[in-house]
Amino acid sequence: MSVFNDLKEAVTRNIGRVMDAGAQYCDTRWYEDDSSEMFMLLDGNLEGNDTNVESGLGVRVLYGGAWGFAATSQISSIDTCFDRAMANAVSASMLVKVKLDMGLKDGHTGSYTSPFKIDPIDVSLSDKVDFLKGVDDSLSEDWILRRMIQVQLQRMIIHFWSSEGTYTRKKLINTFAHMSAFALDRDRQMQRRSKSLSCETGGTRGWEMLTNPALWSGHAQRIKNELKEVLAAPEVEYGTRSVILLPGQGHLQVHETIGHPLELDRILGYELSYAGGSFVKLDSFGKLKYGSDKLTVSAYGSITNSPGSFGFDAEGTPERDYLLIDKGVLVNCLTSRAMISEANQRAGRKVFTESGGASRSTAFYRAPIDRMTNVNILPGDDGTLEDMISTTEDGIIVDNPTSWSIGSNREHFHFGCEIAWEVKKGKVTRVLRNPSYQGHTIEFYNNLSAVGDESSWIVEQVENCGKGEPNQVMELGHGIPVIKFDKVISGERR
Amino acid sequence: MMNDKTKSMITEARDMAQSRGIKASIHYHHENSHLMRIGNNSVSLNTSEELTRIDIEVIQGRKKGTHTHLGELGSAEELFNVVLKVSEKAGQSAEMDYEPVLTEIEENVVTDLQYDEALDHLDPAVKEQVYSSIFKEVGEDYNYSGSWSSGSTETFSVTTANRNAAWHRLTDQQFMCVLKHPEKMWELASWQTGWKAGDVTAEETINEFKTILPVYENNEGFEVEPGHYKVVFGSQAVGELIEQAAWTGCVGRSWEMKMGWTAEKQIGDKILHPSVTVLDDPTNDQIFSQPLSDSGMLTKTLTMIDRGKLSALLYDRNTASKYGKKATPNAGCLVLKPGGGPADLLEAVKDMDRVLYIPAIHYMNMPNQSKGIFTGSSRFSAVLVEKGKIVSPIFSTRVTDQFETVFGKVLALSSETISVNTSDTYGRRDPGAVSVPTWMLVDDVKITDCADSF
Repeated sequence: MSVFNDLKEAVTRNIGRVMDAGAQYCDTRWYEDDSSEMFMLLDGNLEGNDTNVESGLGVRVLYGGAWGFAATSQISSIDTCFDRAMANAVSASMLVKVKLDMGLKDGHTGSYTSPFKIDPIDVSLSDKVDFLKGVDDSLSEDWILRRMIQVQLQRMIIHFWSSEGTYTRKKLINTFAHMSAFALDRDRQMQRRSKSLSCETGGTRGWEMLTNPALWSGHAQRIKNELKEVLAAPEVEYGTRSVILLPGQGHLQVHETIGHPLELDRILGYELSYAGGSFVKLDSFGKLKYGSDKLTVSAYGSITNSPGSFGFDAEGTPERDYLLIDKGVLVNCLTSRAMISEANQRAGRKVFTESGGASRSTAFYRAPIDRMTNVNILPGDDGTLEDMISTTEDGIIVDNPTSWSIGSNREHFHFGCEIAWEVKKGKVTRVLRNPSYQGHTIEFYNNLSAVGDESSWIVEQVENCGKGEPNQVMELGHGIPVIKFDKVISGERR
Repeated sequence: MMNDKTKSMITEARDMAQSRGIKASIHYHHENSHLMRIGNNSVSLNTSEELTRIDIEVIQGRKKGTHTHLGELGSAEELFNVVLKVSEKAGQSAEMDYEPVLTEIEENVVTDLQYDEALDHLDPAVKEQVYSSIFKEVGEDYNYSGSWSSGSTETFSVTTANRNAAWHRLTDQQFMCVLKHPEKMWELASWQTGWKAGDVTAEETINEFKTILPVYENNEGFEVEPGHYKVVFGSQAVGELIEQAAWTGCVGRSWEMKMGWTAEKQIGDKILHPSVTVLDDPTNDQIFSQPLSDSGMLTKTLTMIDRGKLSALLYDRNTASKYGKKATPNAGCLVLKPGGGPADLLEAVKDMDRVLYIPAIHYMNMPNQSKGIFTGSSRFSAVLVEKGKIVSPIFSTRVTDQFETVFGKVLALSSETISVNTSDTYGRRDPGAVSVPTWMLVDDVKITDCADSF
């Protein structure tokens, strides 16, 4: 018998056992392989040359309306793991005011593999090191004080079984990369310019993605040129003006102030003790004017090659393409089965009809929670970046975050960025340094005045979204065009 | 507890590496974790994880490779085969411009002074009972959430540099309870920490909530106009501020790389108010201590900021090698020394017209590390205080200021200290805490924004 068949038999037997003992629902994730490699070149030194290999089993049991979870890296103790998950659920059920329910579903089977040509984990170390050294060399200049290259490669093979008879198998490949150049400005403050690996429309996720110069390494000269301009530039003055976000910044704006507040577990109050809540309420759907008519936002978006595309979520639900915000009006959010069941119960009506397929766990030893998939602003009809500049009287264009700080209910925010370009009377006039801007979410999106067309739309990757207790890091994507907001407070108050 | 077979497996694999001339360290990390999460007055997740990781580092001249294995390993041969793979990986790596340093364990260590069997195996029913009694005593009409993480971390380290070994085991717990008004939306929070069962009690949280609740129940929220204010930072906020300030200002790597806010300063320069003294102090029993530094030295107390003057920087083994400095025996046990202020912060501000009390800073980040500019917002239990009386709760308020200014304009520090748990559970269990005064009063703090809601 193979390891898989042995494990399948043990999982099926144990799921039957806990269901016979009174569980409402049970599911199991077996990470057959969770391999990752991290590289960090700092000033040409390969300081990080790390591999991480994980394998194990996570069991989730719903009993008496409460979740119990247990995980083990010792496959030989699988029965004990089910016992602990069941015991944890029984113990949790002693303190339950709102009983959770998964809603009934028929079982199904399916499989998914990320699109890729070359598995990045299988590429030889010497090829990887040679390539990264080459990228590092292209950043090197006498006046550049620090260079940093960071790469993370992932391969996961995940099996999922549920008490409803669902079985899915996923093979996920992810490739992330960042390059940064640092130098001291005229006030001896360290300035940075960086570029992260972005996705190619319709492309793949393997080693070939990393080595495509258009997506990453080919930007080295541009970021050096821009950094040089930043060093001698004046600071952004405090004031109210238009702010144009390039995708390198716009994706994080969307992530923090649309993605997170639209996670249903946050809306229902399950993240209050850690990440925070949401200003969105159950009666906001279909009513709340989240933004101007130019704002249309989708989840997943049928983007095939993003880290937020994974075939089936951690409850076996197939990924879904649907709108979150339609012409400025909030219509849906990021959901999992138990959360929509509870939301509908609390609202006393069917606010949500089906799971958004957004239940995700970062590792076998973490229970699934509601996460972002791909949260995307759809392209608009305001043309290219140049078109948007030409219609701007007084503004700045900003790119790439240096810091982000968001209110606990995502109602307000502050971002620092790497670079700004001043725009006066429809023309870019000069580069500015130390840009920052702040705002209140609903007011900000209602001041969205221009959305770039498809030519400005890029899928940016995020590999470090943090949420949940115990903490979980998640990978996802954001499709984002160039976007312009009016009446934004920017620069730092003296 | 780690069994003899596992210990033998690791030391035998070390011996095999030693006999083949491989420069390697093997680090065993075992966690027994339990976390109860509360949402909407219910247990929303009750989770246990028992995980064993083996971290291996191999150094070959100016090259290195590292590897972490989480899964089953049955024998010394199997483990040694992983060491060989890491050795191969190190061989294919790129040469650096300095020699990475292998950890050399200074002497055999066997310690579990901060280990409590009762906490390691705490029955989840105890946690459920504590939360239940808080709900019952404070009022079941409020919405409660929270989390209570507890467990043990056991490590065993050997390296081929010598025959010594270090075994360390400790328990830790982090408790939080959030009370939210279902309509008015304000939030109060209570935090507790410790390493023994019984360190967390329902009574402490009940008392905290009952003290502040009338202010929130009987007063509308106050919208703070942007400007400069006297601010009393509570212990959670002080912990967050001092940790970020020390990480970006007192660490050798960040200083050498010109990345931090002290990059232009020299040892001996006055950088903060004379009332500010910051230590790395493994002897402080309020915080989770480590017996060895990353270079394998027995940890010792180090003063990084002495009465406002920069007095030392912390160097890990590789930064020390790269920059020609000496590695420091740091433990990561951060302490901000207390001052002479009264334990009761209201007493400290009784003659002041308007003071903001900000107990915790939510989502702090640094827009400009070179200048030490940080930003974050108030969240739980923040109030306006006038003449020593709590007047009203304040809406979510953003502070954007500089470490040099905030720690440079300290008016008073509490004489009482408290441990603030700074652990996170990304990846592995890694207990951390800082010891800080229960409050810090600062003049002229910059408020840059305020929401019209909590």
